[in-house]
Amino acid sequence: MESTATPSSSPTRRGRDIPASPVWWQRLLGENGIQKWVFFIPIVFFVLFFAAPVVLTIVFSFFERTQFWMEPGFTLFAYENFFTSARAENYVFSMLHSAAAVVVSFVLGFPIAVFVRRRVAKAAQHRVILLFILPFMISELVRVFAMRPVLGRNGVVNNFLIDIGIINEPITIILFSPLGVIIGDVMSFLPFMIFAGFLALEAVQNYIFEVCDDLGAGPARLFGDIIVPLAAPGIFAGSVFIFVNSMGVALVPTLLGGPGAVNAGLIANQAIVALDFPLAMAISTIMILTLVLLLYVGHRLFDLTKVLEPIS
Amino acid sequence: MYDDFANPWTIRLKWSYLLLVVVALLSPVFYIVYISFNEHGFSARIYEFTFDWYRVVLSDTILVSSLSWTVYLAVTAVAVTIPMALLSAKFYKRSRRKVAFVALMLSPLFVPADIMGSSLLVFFKNLSGAFSWLDSVLGVNWFDGWFDLGFLTALIGQIIYTHPYAFIVILITMSRYRNQQTEAARACGATAWQAFWQVEFPQIRVGVFSSCAFVTILSFNEAVRTALLKGGFDTFSNVLVAQMLNIGMSGESYAMAGIMSIVSITVIGSIIVYTLVRAERLERKARAMAEPVMSI
Repeated sequence: MESTATPSSSPTRRGRDIPASPVWWQRLLGENGIQKWVFFIPIVFFVLFFAAPVVLTIVFSFFERTQFWMEPGFTLFAYENFFTSARAENYVFSMLHSAAAVVVSFVLGFPIAVFVRRRVAKAAQHRVILLFILPFMISELVRVFAMRPVLGRNGVVNNFLIDIGIINEPITIILFSPLGVIIGDVMSFLPFMIFAGFLALEAVQNYIFEVCDDLGAGPARLFGDIIVPLAAPGIFAGSVFIFVNSMGVALVPTLLGGPGAVNAGLIANQAIVALDFPLAMAISTIMILTLVLLLYVGHRLFDLTKVLEPIS
Repeated sequence: MYDDFANPWTIRLKWSYLLLVVVALLSPVFYIVYISFNEHGFSARIYEFTFDWYRVVLSDTILVSSLSWTVYLAVTAVAVTIPMALLSAKFYKRSRRKVAFVALMLSPLFVPADIMGSSLLVFFKNLSGAFSWLDSVLGVNWFDGWFDLGFLTALIGQIIYTHPYAFIVILITMSRYRNQQTEAARACGATAWQAFWQVEFPQIRVGVFSSCAFVTILSFNEAVRTALLKGGFDTFSNVLVAQMLNIGMSGESYAMAGIMSIVSITVIGSIIVYTLVRAERLERKARAMAEPVMSI
């Protein structure tokens, strides 16, 4: 076959076109150029603006405080300041409140995850879980703020209980108190226990439940011996999320806790307002180390990657 | 054998409990919206419907300016976060070290807002100082103000916050996509981009659009990180926090909370309704295809 190719067109071999080798900009934009490296952008971004600030938080916590800022050095003064003041006690109290919020969220939320996974038709399970996305996506600020007219002296709860004759005087312990903070935390983070529990149970094959039913396991045994151990990674992930956020989100004690109510996030905020940056960094460090320790222990015990199995 | 379908009341009771929890989570927010339309505000004996509080909010130039800053921030956050979440999800699918990668991507979920905000605030102030020092050493002003607190730092804070949610939503949608389709497209001569854009993207489009909506709402609602990193401008939720703490609960605050709730409920509610309708339609289509063809 006679070739009609001009010198400028692509060369041919046995009548077939041989693709011209890519020029430099094609190589740069090609699959071994930018297209390959572009996938590393999120990693670079997160290392630079998430991992680095978190690691440097630990470094800054050892810096020396100046009048308005801090200067490089090595001092444990911020930690001494934290542990020898009422802040350490407040931190422990906020841990207890957060643990209570986790327990209440588990008791209220996890049975919903189990019910949806076991008793709702497969096709409808995700649709039911979607119902809990809506409250979760409404501003946390608004959800916490909304608890004040509901739980207050003249709020909906007190008015309702008085109207039906259960109480004569308004209950004041449910707002501007530690109980108010726990209620606020549960209302803010409960959906996460449902999501994480459901995600973990989704990885459990149906036949396991069927075998248990066939062998005559009662609901209590099934729940304690089968469901909880199998959903443990999800329960743990949900619990850590609720625990850490209850400790770190300053909004809840600020709006619902009343005078004297604090948590780790609020203590860090107060230190920043007082321009004591090393102290704020020390509190953040203690918080981050608590989180890392919890996640490490959880991962060793339950292998938290199992939570992501259904979407891997 | 234990079977809770044996007694229909058991299953009804469980459904009632589930719905009760949903209602309990939502009712305080609906109550706020209800109060925001009362001319006499909270705890008044008389209820007279009015839009006056909303008119007050929307005629306040500071609030309207904060609203426009919120919109700029949300739009920019979506424009940056979604492509990054797509890249992350694609990287996760092909990555061998999934645990380390997913730990890095999802860790921000577990760091509370105030702690992350404080860390980023001190980091950016130090970075800004380091750049100024570099400028003075080099005798130039190339890096002047790069990381001064402002729009860029607030945006970075929001990307760190919203990215894990967008990543998970896109990953869930991608988990239903079979990679063999991409391989087939490549075998037929498509470039990597063509295989993604013409084969994969149409199948994960719903997840991408949903995550756009989620990021918009998360950015719109975010208050704590933005308050620490924003520098000289205010967002809508920052103004609301300042009002609640300094002035208390006024009719205006209820209207602002009402606006935030109505926007979130409308956007997320639309997605939920669309998802339900679409799933129903697809199911009906699948059933129709599965039915045997009737002979005449």
